[in-house]
Amino acid sequence: MSAHTIPSPIEVPLSPARRLLRLLPGMALLFGIGVLGKLLEHAITLSNARYPQFAIPHIEYVLWAIVLGLIISNTVGVAAIFRPGVATYELWLKLGIVLVGGKFLMQDVLHIGGLSLALVAVELILSISVMTLLGHIFKLPPKLTSLLAIGSSICGVTAIMAAQGAIEPEEEDTSTAIAAILTLGAIALFTFPAIGHMLHMSQQGYGMWAGLAVDNTAESLVTGALYGEEAGRWTVLAKTARSSFIGFVVLAYAVYWSSRGLAPDVPHKGLFLWNKFPKFILGFLAISVLATAGYFTHGQLNSLSNLSRWAFLPAFAGVGLRTNLRDLVGQGWRPLIVGILGEIFIALVTLALVYWSYNHGVAR
Amino acid sequence: MDHLNHTRPAAGRINVDLIAIGIGLTLAALIRFNILPSISF
Repeated sequence: MSAHTIPSPIEVPLSPARRLLRLLPGMALLFGIGVLGKLLEHAITLSNARYPQFAIPHIEYVLWAIVLGLIISNTVGVAAIFRPGVATYELWLKLGIVLVGGKFLMQDVLHIGGLSLALVAVELILSISVMTLLGHIFKLPPKLTSLLAIGSSICGVTAIMAAQGAIEPEEEDTSTAIAAILTLGAIALFTFPAIGHMLHMSQQGYGMWAGLAVDNTAESLVTGALYGEEAGRWTVLAKTARSSFIGFVVLAYAVYWSSRGLAPDVPHKGLFLWNKFPKFILGFLAISVLATAGYFTHGQLNSLSNLSRWAFLPAFAGVGLRTNLRDLVGQGWRPLIVGILGEIFIALVTLALVYWSYNHGVAR
Repeated sequence: MDHLNHTRPAAGRINVDLIAIGIGLTLAALIRFNILPSISF
């Protein structure tokens, strides 16, 4: 589950048609795994209804898609022909987020999104402080500590990649930070739903927690969806609120490292913020505004919601396909220990924040 | 494109975001004007 999951092929300039053609096998694999996951879920439901004496535990298509992807990437591996198409999982993920905007009225977005922003602000300050402290204690390289702090406080890999150009870390630091964040995201996939069930968390509360505590957008959304469809939607809202901070945090680090003469200067800060802002959030808001204005009928909103679920299906398969468990042990123990300790702290703090806001009626 | 991490430099990422917005709004318009039939999951 690291930078080594998909080896880099040699870049050859291709025409747009050929580039599109190269994507098809991998896209077919993503959708194939997703649809197979759905079929397996359906088959188990039918089998349990027909043979209740041999009941098999119900497993959601989300988990099937991840598990099937994990099995492929950790046994036979992802063949070169599939890799360009598998990389499109990011597009399907963002398309799913844009379309799920139809499920949120603007008043929800403003109220819960506003609450998310407040919680994110607290989470940001605490997680950056703790990661920086742990980095010092474990004597990590300062820029690796910065990358871990950026990745864990905002949105994982995207934030680390956004910071890469701004603070110019060692290439190895970037790979290590990404590997640590993805490893921790994979651990969250299996631990968060169990904790949520153990604490009998509501769909909304759990969804908010997953959006605030799990770093990488894909893993965060899957962690939310594994608890339930409604939880998945709230995760989208909390995660997009968190992602909107990406420019500010990266800018702060860029200015810090530049002031020490170890990174380039940032002359146009407004432009820097706009360049780092995740634009797909604007699509999510646009669809939400149209839904709030009554632009769609109830049936049309259902169709939009179902389309978003179809878009998430290959994205979930992509999470499994790019995760290589063998790389867990290959990244050195110190960054991983710092990441694990920091993430446990962030998970506990965000859980406490969500609990507090619900018990005091803030989230309703 | 950074194939190692499935990520792209800033300009590439903007494209993925804009493509997602473009496809999303187009699908929403097709649904709104009943060009796409009711979609189930």
